[in-house]
Amino acid sequence: MSGLVGMTIEQRGEEVVLVRLTGELDISVTQSTGQRIAAAVPSSAHGVVVDMTGLEFIDSSGISMLFGLARRVGSHRQQLRVVAPVGKTVARVLEIVEFGRAAPIDPDVESAVARLATPPE
Amino acid sequence: MRELEGLFDLRVKARSIAYLFATGATLGLLTLAFPHASEVRDVPLIVLAGIAYVVAAAVLALADHLREWHIHAVLVAGTVIVSLANYYAGPSTLYPLLYMWAALYAFYFFPLREAFAQMVFLAVAYAVVLAIQDADSAVVSWLLAVGTPLVAGLLISRLLGRVHEHAREVRSSEERTRLVLDTAPDAFVTVDRDGLIRTWNVAAERAFGWTKGEAIGRRMSELILPPEHRERHDTRRRALIENPDPLAMEHFEVELVRRDGQRFPGEATVSKVDVAGELFVSGFIVDVTERLRRQAEREALLREQAARAEAERVAEIVGGMQALVDAALAQRSLEGVLRDLVAQVRGVLDADAASIFLADQSGALSPGASAPGDLAGADAFAEAVAEAGEARLGQGDALVGVPLLADGEVTGVLVAGVDPPRGFTGEDLTLLRLAAERVGLAIAHVRVYEREHRIAETLQRSLLPDRLPHLPGLQVEARYLPAAAEAEVGGDWYDVIPIAGGAVGLVMGDVAGKGLAGASMVGRLRSALRAYALEGHDTGRVVERLNRLLWTEAEESQMATMLYAIADPAAGVVRWVNAGHPPPLMISGHGDAEFLRGEASVPLGVLPFPTYTEVSAPMEPGSALLLYTDGLVERPGEHIDDGLAQLAACVREAAADDPQRLLDHVLDAFVPPGGAPDDVALLTLKNLPVPDHFSADFPAEPESLAPIRSMLRRWLSHAGANELEIAEITTACGEAATNAIEHAGTGNGTGFAVSGRRQGDEIEIEVRDHGSWRREREDDHGRGIDLMRTLMDTVAVEPGPKGTTVSLRRRLGAREIPEA
Repeated sequence: MSGLVGMTIEQRGEEVVLVRLTGELDISVTQSTGQRIAAAVPSSAHGVVVDMTGLEFIDSSGISMLFGLARRVGSHRQQLRVVAPVGKTVARVLEIVEFGRAAPIDPDVESAVARLATPPE
Repeated sequence: MRELEGLFDLRVKARSIAYLFATGATLGLLTLAFPHASEVRDVPLIVLAGIAYVVAAAVLALADHLREWHIHAVLVAGTVIVSLANYYAGPSTLYPLLYMWAALYAFYFFPLREAFAQMVFLAVAYAVVLAIQDADSAVVSWLLAVGTPLVAGLLISRLLGRVHEHAREVRSSEERTRLVLDTAPDAFVTVDRDGLIRTWNVAAERAFGWTKGEAIGRRMSELILPPEHRERHDTRRRALIENPDPLAMEHFEVELVRRDGQRFPGEATVSKVDVAGELFVSGFIVDVTERLRRQAEREALLREQAARAEAERVAEIVGGMQALVDAALAQRSLEGVLRDLVAQVRGVLDADAASIFLADQSGALSPGASAPGDLAGADAFAEAVAEAGEARLGQGDALVGVPLLADGEVTGVLVAGVDPPRGFTGEDLTLLRLAAERVGLAIAHVRVYEREHRIAETLQRSLLPDRLPHLPGLQVEARYLPAAAEAEVGGDWYDVIPIAGGAVGLVMGDVAGKGLAGASMVGRLRSALRAYALEGHDTGRVVERLNRLLWTEAEESQMATMLYAIADPAAGVVRWVNAGHPPPLMISGHGDAEFLRGEASVPLGVLPFPTYTEVSAPMEPGSALLLYTDGLVERPGEHIDDGLAQLAACVREAAADDPQRLLDHVLDAFVPPGGAPDDVALLTLKNLPVPDHFSADFPAEPESLAPIRSMLRRWLSHAGANELEIAEITTACGEAATNAIEHAGTGNGTGFAVSGRRQGDEIEIEVRDHGSWRREREDDHGRGIDLMRTLMDTVAVEPGPKGTTVSLRRRLGAREIPEA
């Protein structure tokens, strides 16, 4: 059993990589998940959107992976945006650990992609 | 002598006596015409002659009306006339000689006694004459005149007796011959030298339809031979008659004609008969119509028997050949096929022994199979056959060998042997060549099959979970029984997929294709399903995607049935989609069993865009779900509903609380010893009853986390926690468990324990490991503690000498649900 996480990677235009996470993200899969996301982001992209709408569970290792991802894309002058619908467990956890300080949290995928595609001047 | 009666008829007697009278009278007159003794008185004699003439004329005229006594009277009259003539002629003449006439007549025509009576009358009459004449030596004259005719008459009578005897013999012999000929079954015909019919027996009458009266005297060739053969027959008859050999005989076949014109085949045996210098040709003629018919029948029968024997022989050989191929198709192991093949070849050739040698890739031969045992000298002979590359005889004619070819390569050698003095013939060689073609194909077929079978089996095995996930609160058991050895690897597969949120996906599928193609499709469907399941789609969408995959990528309309169910024990619900698969069986905690019929949809691969609708049913703690493939319930000749009813009955009867025992019981009942004809897969998931308190040990590895969450969700749900509380408490406990796993390496234990308690509204969860916690750190560990503290009411970490215990408490329903 290789964990309960599901992941699809989509290229949205040339600027945005959209990663959808489903299932449960715990310490058994965080490392490999983080590596795969990082590898999926070309240097040409403006950044990556991690959609956690379908994610049922995230633990502190998943949070750490997201913090690490934010640092990593930032060092490439790229941006990370995460999507977590308000009211769901994942959003609550992100709030508890104040993830908003590391990367913007959007309520839905389209607004996240749109904001990333057109970076602030 | 009575026998003489009837010898002459009265007319003959009458005519004879008339001639006697006339000649006697004429003779008397002649005596008068020449010089004679003077004592002879002419006139009375002339009168007597006249009287004699008159009597003769009268007798002649009345010949047809005379009786026997009339003749006697006439003869007496004759004697009187002669006596009178003697009287008038005088005693010195020779007139008594005339008595001879009467005597001879009497003895000739009358029976002996009557003849003697006439002689007595004659003797008396002459005695009277002599007495009247008073002649000298009267006694001498009387004796001479009476004795001489008497002796002559007796001689005549005797002679006649002989003649009559002979005639009678001849007549009876003729009669016998006639009887023999008439009762003879075959026609007997005699013709004279002119070809006229002289003899015609009853059988001839029957055969030709002409009566004896009609046939006698007719020309035989015209009567009974067809016109075109008549001349030939005449020639043949003449040749036979002219043949100097008196015993010449001919036997020939001839076509004959009946009176009604119908022709028939006959056989004639003819020979020459010399009857008193006259030559006849006699012959038996046999109607052979019946004999020819029987002969034809017999010949037809013999031909038919021969044809049947030949047909049976050919059928046996062809059957034997077919059996060779059948052997290859029915048997799935090369060893088994070879064994069958040698037995068949031995039977077809009626050989004492047969062997198959197989060539490896380098061409070296090794024994494959022999029946009944190894053939002496067969190895070297097989090498020679392989070398030559063609069929040949060996060891005299005691061995026959033929190479087995596949794509022009020698793949083996087939050898058969007989014990001398028997030997093989060219025909056997042809037969063996024929057999070799089939055998070669069969072996090639089996080799390919075996390779595919091995690959498919390996693949198939690799596609089934080698161990089932450990799911707290749930018990999952599975059984997979491949079909009986010779059947193809089936396309059955099952899978158990833990799904986010504590649910578990159960898959039971059956891909229609067997062998390699089937197994590889199972592999693709399995991977795809796992991926789709983790992406969080509901069952209907997952199955629709699988259908799309099968529809677009499978070769030649591959098809699959499957059941995909998600059991959510925390919610007490099972949701499923049934794509043409037999319905799952829900077994209640009380042992009752009901099929989850719901909505059944088409199998995968049938339609491009079918809709698969998810159905759901409650799944109480204590109940179990049973999934299976059709190999379990389908039996040839039985309706599947019967199999389903039997399955439900079997499960109710088992009343097994333990899933393992349940599966064993079902397999015992449904799978015959030696294996089912098709693969059988069984999968059961039991939703164990939820206790108020729980305690479970887990290995210290990240893979334990998901089961722990799953268990907690279920327990919390049972304890009455709402969805948010379940998520938050689970998250907090996950952090504690993660810490326990990370610290395990520092202690002397490898596992950790999770236990739960509920007191009123308050629940307490304890995570106890065997390691020691480090000081609170930065980053995720720090965040972990933060999370625990935020999400729970109290968090207590108690380090001890044997490990660390984390206690997490929270009162249910105490916090406000944040606005969404």
